[in-house]
This record gives sequence, structure tokens and C-alpha cells, in this order.
Amino acid sequence: MAERKRIKILMAMPALENHTRGLFTVSSMLRDAGMEVVLVGNELPERIIEATIQEDADAVGISTYCGSPIVFGEDLLKAAEEKGIKDRTVFVMGGIFPPQDEPKLEEMGFSGVFPPGPRSTREKIVACIENSVSIKRSANR
Amino acid sequence: MGQEKTTKEILEERLGGEERLPLYNPEALKAIEKEFENWKDTKVREKDRRDWEVTPRTVLGSEIPRKLTYTPLDVADLDYMKDLGFSGEEPFTRGIHANMYRGRTFTMRPLPGAGTPEEMNQRWKFLIEQGATGINVALDLPSVQMFDSDEPEARGHVAVVGVPACCVEDWEVAYKDIPIDKISSSIITHYPRNTAMLLPMYLVMAERRGIPWDKLPGSVQNDIVMENLVRGAIEYIPPKDDFRVQCDNIEFIRKEVPQWNYITLNGYNLREAGTSGVTEMAVAMANGVAILEEMKRRGYDADWTGERIAFFWAFANDFFEEVAKNRAMRRLWYKIMKYRFGAKNPRSMWMRTHIQTSGVSLFREEPINNIIRAAYHALAAVLTGTQSLHVDCLDEAFSVPSEKTLLPSVRTQQILEQETQVTQVVDPLAGSFYVEAMTNELEKRVLDELTEVEKMGGIAEAIASGQLHYKIAGYIERENRMIEKGEIKVVSRNIYPTKEPEPEIEVSVYRPEVDRAERERLARIRDTRDNEKASNCLNALKEACKRGDNVTYYTLEAARANATEGEMRRVFTEAFGMWKPPM
Repeated sequence: MAERKRIKILMAMPALENHTRGLFTVSSMLRDAGMEVVLVGNELPERIIEATIQEDADAVGISTYCGSPIVFGEDLLKAAEEKGIKDRTVFVMGGIFPPQDEPKLEEMGFSGVFPPGPRSTREKIVACIENSVSIKRSANR
Repeated sequence: MGQEKTTKEILEERLGGEERLPLYNPEALKAIEKEFENWKDTKVREKDRRDWEVTPRTVLGSEIPRKLTYTPLDVADLDYMKDLGFSGEEPFTRGIHANMYRGRTFTMRPLPGAGTPEEMNQRWKFLIEQGATGINVALDLPSVQMFDSDEPEARGHVAVVGVPACCVEDWEVAYKDIPIDKISSSIITHYPRNTAMLLPMYLVMAERRGIPWDKLPGSVQNDIVMENLVRGAIEYIPPKDDFRVQCDNIEFIRKEVPQWNYITLNGYNLREAGTSGVTEMAVAMANGVAILEEMKRRGYDADWTGERIAFFWAFANDFFEEVAKNRAMRRLWYKIMKYRFGAKNPRSMWMRTHIQTSGVSLFREEPINNIIRAAYHALAAVLTGTQSLHVDCLDEAFSVPSEKTLLPSVRTQQILEQETQVTQVVDPLAGSFYVEAMTNELEKRVLDELTEVEKMGGIAEAIASGQLHYKIAGYIERENRMIEKGEIKVVSRNIYPTKEPEPEIEVSVYRPEVDRAERERLARIRDTRDNEKASNCLNALKEACKRGDNVTYYTLEAARANATEGEMRRVFTEAFGMWKPPM
């Protein structure tokens, strides 16, 4: 099968998250970088994974503000594992969370964790997603 | 809206022909003009003459061009009594009370954090013992978004950013032994729909304790802009129906809970979602105008509806714009109430404000700098005569603020009030050529943007069509680019970048045992209540939604029957159908 060049990424938030600014900001950055962005918005973890399968997306981006990134991250990756897409899908998360949550999120399987600030520039977010997708694509070829 | 003419046209008709008494003498102005040109040509550098006007670029800015200096020529037709007057008198530009802070200083309204109903009860009692006369009720995310603590969507969110309050018993526990006839509660409901569910629960709690509703002081937000424009959510109802719920709440509260403030027209969250101060004010005004029209249609005059309307603004970095903004809005709201709606009671012409300093203007790098930023925002708010203030905490870019960071936020206000003496003199920046020129400019720009929203068909239609959503999205994208390019300067990020490591931050975390306790509470309620009665009340609510009756009387009956917030939400969605914002 010919390798797809354009990255397809699903952008979502926890079901009850009410802050939208991060999701819209990063979605427009990724579109500018040439990615195909599917804006899912608020959803339950299982539904996000179902949508990822349906859309055959390479990556999932989560925006969170109002707490509990760890609980949500665990639920999301568990659902991905159960549906058998964890190994071939790239997961990244951005938003407002304390520094101590970052290593935990990376350990559970997020390829990139982006708090506001200089570690989360447009270039760094795009590069992280591109590299991670290309690694996963070649591993799963 | 059924209104042919825009607010701007109506005001121009009513006020356009009025005779004016200019403060400045024309001969003096002529002399100043001559000297000014001479000074500009001989004393000002050529580069500064060329760039006479610069456009400030700030986070959440309006990009109103600024001259190098302002003179009487910029406010040449100022009519003191018509444009400014005295504080406590029309047009209220200088403040809504004659003595302003000498009579009563601004209310300091810190947010008291998060926890279970039992924990918040202890916390509020502690605050009351310390002298608090009012409490802020911050709800947890499920209660804000109208989900019960035991719905799958709520997992991980129970009691994290506020208190769970999805059934009457939650309210009973949280308010146990708190004298609700003396202590005012600002219940941060945000939306019309959750106001319709949660305020009745509070009232049922009062009823069960034998406290009459006309003794209850407090406020709710109840704002369609929050529910259908600003927030992210898994389900929405159509804007026109939500607008109706907003007005049903106003009607219900005005009649049944007479001391209660039934709406806060919220600019803050719209601004923070990503927009200028001008749009912030114009959208809140557009909602206010639409409410007054709808209430008029229902048979209530402007004084009946207008008396307890309050506003909520964000104050951000562009200091003089923020100062001018509150003054401009006081004058404009007065004109709208008096000349468009015919209000007679001065109280209903007052634009009363709560101001919160801007959270989006705070950054993660060197968080202690955020205390300094917020102090400037707070200074602007106080100089402009706000009734109530909340100063954001330094850890805003890390998490929901902790108890530890609340202290400097309260101290910022106390230092302003007790040490700086800025509260002694009413409207201290009045008369500055710059401030008065900016006040005029802001009033004009807000009125123009209000006209835009009115031409979109009014607030509900402007939201339904997605035009305001796109405006926000465009603003955020552009602002982000300007920060990236360094056009908007952020100290310690894109200018003088930081070398400091990120600090450890204390955060409120999800506790599974709390989640469990809330689930058990709800399970017990559903087990022990009269389920047939609850279900009948929910059916009656659904019929009322469809029939067009005031829904808040029906959510009240549902609350009396111990129906939960999630159950009521589903009824609203079934009755009105789902709506998705056009993004």
C-alpha cells in the first residue's frame, strides 16, 4: 500500500471540558502545517477512539484545561489498547496541567505533552507529531 | 427581534439634535491649535511626527491607535454635564454612586476553591467566621455542564474545580447551618439552563429550612453567551430556546426571589476565549438589549427588568483602554436604558460591574510576574470604579489556583485599598484629555459593533449563524501569530526570555473516594425518593418547554421532587433538540 503523505489528526477534548481556546489555536496551527484536522470537540474517551478508527487517523490531539489529565489520559489509552490501535496511533496532549503530570503522561504513552510556553511553539508541536507519526508508520508498515 | 431600527439609530434620533454647552472656549481652542501645530513642527522629531499614531499590540487588545499626546483639541466639543456629570448622577460616566468608595469599597470576591459539599461547608463557615458577608459558589465541571456526578462524562471531574451540586441534598449539605438570609451567595452558574436547574435546588433547600425566598440575597450568571458561544460542550440546545430559558429565569427570579440578582451579562469569558475589549462589551450589550426587548414583549417595563442587571468584565494589559472602557460603558448603558427603553429609575440605568483580572494575559514563565500583571489590571479596575473585584492568581497558567496563591491575590486588593489611597477620590482620571478621548472612542466603537450584532439579527441569531464563533476563532489565530512573531510582547517569553526552571505547583487533584461518595449519595436519593413523582415532574417540564410556559416554575417542581441536574438536562435536550455550533 502506498504510504499516505498527509498526516490526519483528530482534535478532541474531554467530554465536559468547557475551555475551547487551546483546541482552536492548535487546530489552526496544524492545518497551517498541512495536516488534515478532524475537529471532534468534546467526547468520551471510547468515542474518540471509535472516531479515530472510523477516520483512520494517524494521531489524536487532546486539549485539556479543567483538571484530571491523568484520569482522562489513562482512559483514552486504555480504550485505544482495547481497540488495538494504541501502537499505530500517535497521542499528544496540550493544555493547562501541572509540571508533575507531564512525565506521567509521557510514561503512559503520550508522544508529546504541551503546556503553554516556549516548549510548545508551533514548530515544536508540528515536529513532534510529524516525527512520531513517521516512526509509527514505519514500525507498522 | 422585530425591531427595525438599530440602537445606534434610536440614540442618534433621540440625542442628535440636543443643544450642547462646550466646556472649552472656542477662542482658546483656536489658539491651542495654532500653538500645537507650531510645537509639533518645531519640537517633535520627524520620525515621531510621521508615526504620530501608533497601534498598541497587546494580548486581548482592541488595537485602537494612540497619538503621541492628547490635548483639548481631541475633546474639543466636551459638554461636561452631558458627557460626564457628577458621580451618582446621569450619565453616570463618573460612577454610579455619589461618594463611590468612600461609601463602600469594592467587594473582594475571591474564589474559595474546590471540594465536596461537606468540605465546602467547612470552608465557607471558616470564611464567614473571618468576616466574609458573601460567598462565591464555584461548581465542579459536571455541575457546570449539567451532568450528574455518576454519569460517565463526569469521571475524573467530581469536586475537582468546584463543588458538586447536582441534587438538592448537595446544596443542603454545603449550606448546613449557614445563615442564607444574611450571607449572600454568588452562584457561578454560567448558563441559563443550569441556572434554571440549580437556583431552584437552592430555593428548595431554603424552603426545607423554613427561610422565605424574599429574604435571600445573591446572584446567578444566567447568560446565553456563556452557554452557546463561549463554552465547549458535548451537547447544546438551539440559541433561541436558550435565550428563552434565560428570560424565563429572569421573570421567575424577579417575581419569586426579589432580592436576587438574576443576570450577569458576561463579557469576561467571551473576552478570555479570545476577543477584544470592544467585542466583549458589544456582545454583552447586544444580549442586554435583546433581553429588554423580550421582557417588554412579555409585558414588563425597562425598570422592572433593568434594576438588577449586572455586568462582568475582564481587565487586561492595555491600561488606559481598560480604564476608559468602564467609563464608556456606564455612559452607553445609561443612554440605552433611558433613551431606547424609557427607564425612569436611576438604578436601572446603572451599569454595575464585577471585574476579574485577565487570566489569559498571565503566563507560565516566571509565574511570580503574574502578580505584577494582575496588580496593574486591578489598579485599572479600581481607578474606574468597579463594584466588585477578583484578582487572578499567579498559577493561572498551571492549574486551578491553589489556596496558597489566593493570598497574594487578596493582598493585591488590600494593598490597593488600604495603602495606595487611590480609593479616596472619585473617578480620578476624569478630565485627562487622553482618557476622555479614549472614553469617547470606545463608546463609539462598542456602539458600532453592537449595530453589527443587531444587523446579524440580534444576539441569538448572531450566535446561531456562527458569525460570532468565527470572529473568536479568527481573533485567537491572529493573536497567537502576533505573539509568535514578537509583535505582542510578553516579558520572559518572547522578550527577555526566561532562564528559570518551572516551579513546583500545588494543584487540586481528583480523588476517587470523593467520586464514590457522590455516586452513593445519588444512588440513595434515586432509591428513596418518590420516583413516580420525580418522573411526572420531569414530564411536566418537557411539556412546558414545548408549550412555551416559563420553564423555571417546572424545574422548581422537579427539584422539589428531588430530580437531579442530569435528569433535567436530558429533558431540555429532548424537548428542544440538539444544536451544534457551526465550527
